[in-house]
Amino acid sequence: MNTTTQTFAGTPWKQGIKDAIPLLGGYIPVAISFGLISVQSGFSVLETILISTFIYAGASQFLFVAMAASGAPLWLVVIMTLLINARHIVYGPNLSPYLNHDKKWLPLMHGLTDQIFALAHARLPQLPDQARLGWYTGAAMLAWLSWIAGTALGAIAGGELTQRWPLINDILPFALPALFFVLIVPRCNNRLWTLTIALSAVSAVILKVLGYPNVAIPLAALCGAALFYALKNQRDMGGR
Amino acid sequence: MDMSMWLALVSIAVGTYLIRLLPYLWMKRSLAKRQTEDGVGSMPTWLTILGPTMIAAMFGTSLVPTHSDIVSWLATGIGILVTFGVWKRTRSMGMPILCGVVAFGLVRFFLVF
Repeated sequence: MNTTTQTFAGTPWKQGIKDAIPLLGGYIPVAISFGLISVQSGFSVLETILISTFIYAGASQFLFVAMAASGAPLWLVVIMTLLINARHIVYGPNLSPYLNHDKKWLPLMHGLTDQIFALAHARLPQLPDQARLGWYTGAAMLAWLSWIAGTALGAIAGGELTQRWPLINDILPFALPALFFVLIVPRCNNRLWTLTIALSAVSAVILKVLGYPNVAIPLAALCGAALFYALKNQRDMGGR
Repeated sequence: MDMSMWLALVSIAVGTYLIRLLPYLWMKRSLAKRQTEDGVGSMPTWLTILGPTMIAAMFGTSLVPTHSDIVSWLATGIGILVTFGVWKRTRSMGMPILCGVVAFGLVRFFLVF
């Protein structure tokens, strides 16, 4: 992605909030659905909000509620939900070259979701070192609070909301693929990266359509990485 | 929720946080160590490749519409084309996303509602 250092008007955290606004289109409808499903599964409004506040990981929250409601053994619930989040392992290391030694980064890692990682991976290299903590705080806090607020809304009035405004569930979530697209397309600046990214995206679509949404991201990413190495080796051997 | 459910909730919350925190700390230490040894701290190549491919994979999974019918796929295709077109012109983030969502919504609205 573009590594040119960018300056901006206003404070870094305000810029972070501004950059994270497109995330709301994806976060709020999903959070409303989670709130609604959690309450329907027997959790109280307060419990539902606490789940979103402290776990803060979409897919594993849905799984937690569904498995707990079906009476699955709790040790299995814990293992399965953590397995779904295992893909987050590569996020922190990828961002670490852009983060300084400030201790405030430690609690902020709670906010390192898929979307915040994608956003930070594209934006942090463009920001001056002293602006990164503020930028990340603004972006991550907006995402976290919108997730909690959406959950509360869903738990309290989710049924009525989705009935009255079906467009919330239908159209706003498109903000997420559009955001990921805008974040990844600048990487397609040569044949090697274009093919790598295209294969990762296409594999992810196929895996999800085939009914493997939880392994789609890590598996598709590995497919893309394998192609990258294969093409690079071929090119290096051809150059000898 | 009974006590065991709370315990499960806390375990998942702490586990998820550690999954996000510990690899970051490990890489931070590893980079600092390499910097003292070689004078340069660089990330392993596989990690720099896995970052963008993970984002591309997230893009792929988010592309699949909730209702897997022709109209939804058509709206998704047009939405992405519009997002790309506006991005090519502006090279910004907000406007392409907004236009993409509006295009997606218009196709859905006119063909479904």
